[in-house]
Amino acid sequence: MKLTETTPDTFGIIKNISGDEHFINRITSIGITHGVRFQTIKNDKRMPVLVYLRETLIALNRNDAERIEVTVR
Amino acid sequence: MNRIALLGQPNSGKSTVYNALTGSHQHVGNWPGKTVEKNDGYYTYNGKKYAVTDLPGSYGLTGNSDEEIITADYIRQDNADLVCVLVDASQLERSMFMLAEFAALKKPSVLLLNMMDVAKQQNKQINHKVLEKRLGIPVLPFVAADQKGYDKLKKLFSSELEKPHKLANAPASSENGVMAECDAKYRWISETLKDVTKTSSEKYEISKFDKAALHPVGGKLIAIGVVLLAFLAAMVIMAPFMAVGSMLPGLLNQPIHDLLTGWNVHSWLVSIFSLILPNVLYFSLSMAGFVFGVNIAFGFLEEIGFLARAAYQFDGILSKLGLQGKAICPVLMGFGCTIGGACGTRVMDNWGQRMLAMAVVWAVPCGAIWSVIPVISGMFFSPAETACICLGILLYMAVMMFIVSKIFGKVLAPKETRSGMIMELPPYHKAHWKHIIKEAFLKSWDIFKRALVTVTLVSLLFWVFSFSSNGDITKSLLYRVGTFIEPVTRFFGMGWQTFMGFLSSAFAKEAVLGVLNAAFVGQNSLVDATFNAKTAAADTTMLGSVMAQTISKAEALAFIFACTFNVPCVMALSTTYRESHSLKWTARVAGFYIGGALLLSCVVYHIAVLFM
Repeated sequence: MKLTETTPDTFGIIKNISGDEHFINRITSIGITHGVRFQTIKNDKRMPVLVYLRETLIALNRNDAERIEVTVR
Repeated sequence: MNRIALLGQPNSGKSTVYNALTGSHQHVGNWPGKTVEKNDGYYTYNGKKYAVTDLPGSYGLTGNSDEEIITADYIRQDNADLVCVLVDASQLERSMFMLAEFAALKKPSVLLLNMMDVAKQQNKQINHKVLEKRLGIPVLPFVAADQKGYDKLKKLFSSELEKPHKLANAPASSENGVMAECDAKYRWISETLKDVTKTSSEKYEISKFDKAALHPVGGKLIAIGVVLLAFLAAMVIMAPFMAVGSMLPGLLNQPIHDLLTGWNVHSWLVSIFSLILPNVLYFSLSMAGFVFGVNIAFGFLEEIGFLARAAYQFDGILSKLGLQGKAICPVLMGFGCTIGGACGTRVMDNWGQRMLAMAVVWAVPCGAIWSVIPVISGMFFSPAETACICLGILLYMAVMMFIVSKIFGKVLAPKETRSGMIMELPPYHKAHWKHIIKEAFLKSWDIFKRALVTVTLVSLLFWVFSFSSNGDITKSLLYRVGTFIEPVTRFFGMGWQTFMGFLSSAFAKEAVLGVLNAAFVGQNSLVDATFNAKTAAADTTMLGSVMAQTISKAEALAFIFACTFNVPCVMALSTTYRESHSLKWTARVAGFYIGGALLLSCVVYHIAVLFM
């Protein structure tokens, strides 16, 4: 499923990230890579998605979060 | 020469370290052929001089942004003898990414574990000795905002420059694309950090305050409330500057006048020194005061981690302008002072977004406008109508921001480079006041110095235009030009007097009342009026009744809007040029604003005439 479809307090693992090289560079340099464990903190309509991973609380705008595939545990 | 370069991700505290090391020994320039700012400075330690370069902030080194290309080339070409890599100790794993990128370059380096205080607060323990052994370079636990650690840091730098160390190993390189490269880098990081730090795998608990601050509706209200409080605080801080500054013209004018007249100096020069210089001092001091107050208030909000929450809240609205959440800080600062707002755009990700943010910030009416406009409006309209006008200004501000972003956004932030907000929300932590005050002081001192020069030059120019030998305004160049072009300015809804006021609003909004007074009442010479803005404008009731008799309500309304949405003051222009490093773009946006203000005035006048 997409990261934007997760509900608060779900735990999961990042499965796939699609986008151009520019996007991949940006998203990986902040710590979002394959296989990383994450926790969705907040996911409100028309607001950036908040995830917690690698000890960091990260706000991701919705368009970008759409491109991130995750598996939920 | 010993050359040290500072490398780190945004929020790693890099510029704090840079400022603390170099103090006032800084030079700001451009990277050759690029609009990216180059910060060079130096310090002396044990009688030796050390050059420090603050490399542009970026999250990595392999991306294709200007910042990353510059940084990677700079290091590769041996421009630094030692690279100091900064990481955030409270988010070690993530911020080590920069080190992983840097490792491939194989250059002498040290690692600074910054924000150890935050890490400690979160009960994170880091065994830096193990890390040091594994990396093969010195690792120093550090708190950048605390002055105490710097002696140790300088000592480390000088010993490393004599006997440098290089990283013992680097992430394996991969041929399978960017993603695989990155995966390899993070693998290297987790191997390196094994047993160095315990990665907490427990659940993240959102704090009570964040629950409110991150609420889609309540959070926005909180953010607006906090920002209003910040402005209140900023005003309290800047009040003494204003008070002292406003006394200067009154205090200095007569003594200087008497002294110079006593020396038989020509009356022109007497006028320059006794009128212009004290007022230049006053303007410069109040601008510095503005910048100081706004920077302390917003520096505080930034440091405790609140601004990141505000950015999260307003990302949706700002993305409609081609910007992203991070632009909320400069936009809000713009309500206090456009200069502060322009400086505040440094948080933006790339040059195009920065320039666009500055162009948008210009549309935000600054504190000086809010102090002048209600006074003028009150001369013609009832308090209720004045409130409506202020509301109208706010509404048009939103329209103007939208227009600016549409017109300039296409070129400055083309769709393919538009990157949505990807940012970390740092944990809340205590503010380091000493650091905030020092940074605000450096910024306002810089503005003060530049304002002295800029305002003096523009004042002299204005003085030449408004000078008349006997104080009669009709003898001045400005009057002659003003009345000559009046048929044209009439079309835009302004007579020569109001047009003069409009022109002066591009100089400084504070000067508008003084100029209007000279143009309408004509008791004081224009020179006196402009440069004694405060004293000459004290009698606003007199000005009000004369103005109300001379010009129509429609013209007044047109003038109010024209002034508000004219280019900001000269200092804001000069700051925008300095921050953007692009004369072309500063001039382009300025031209757009002047044209836009005239057009707005024209439309407002011709519509208002129908109703008033």
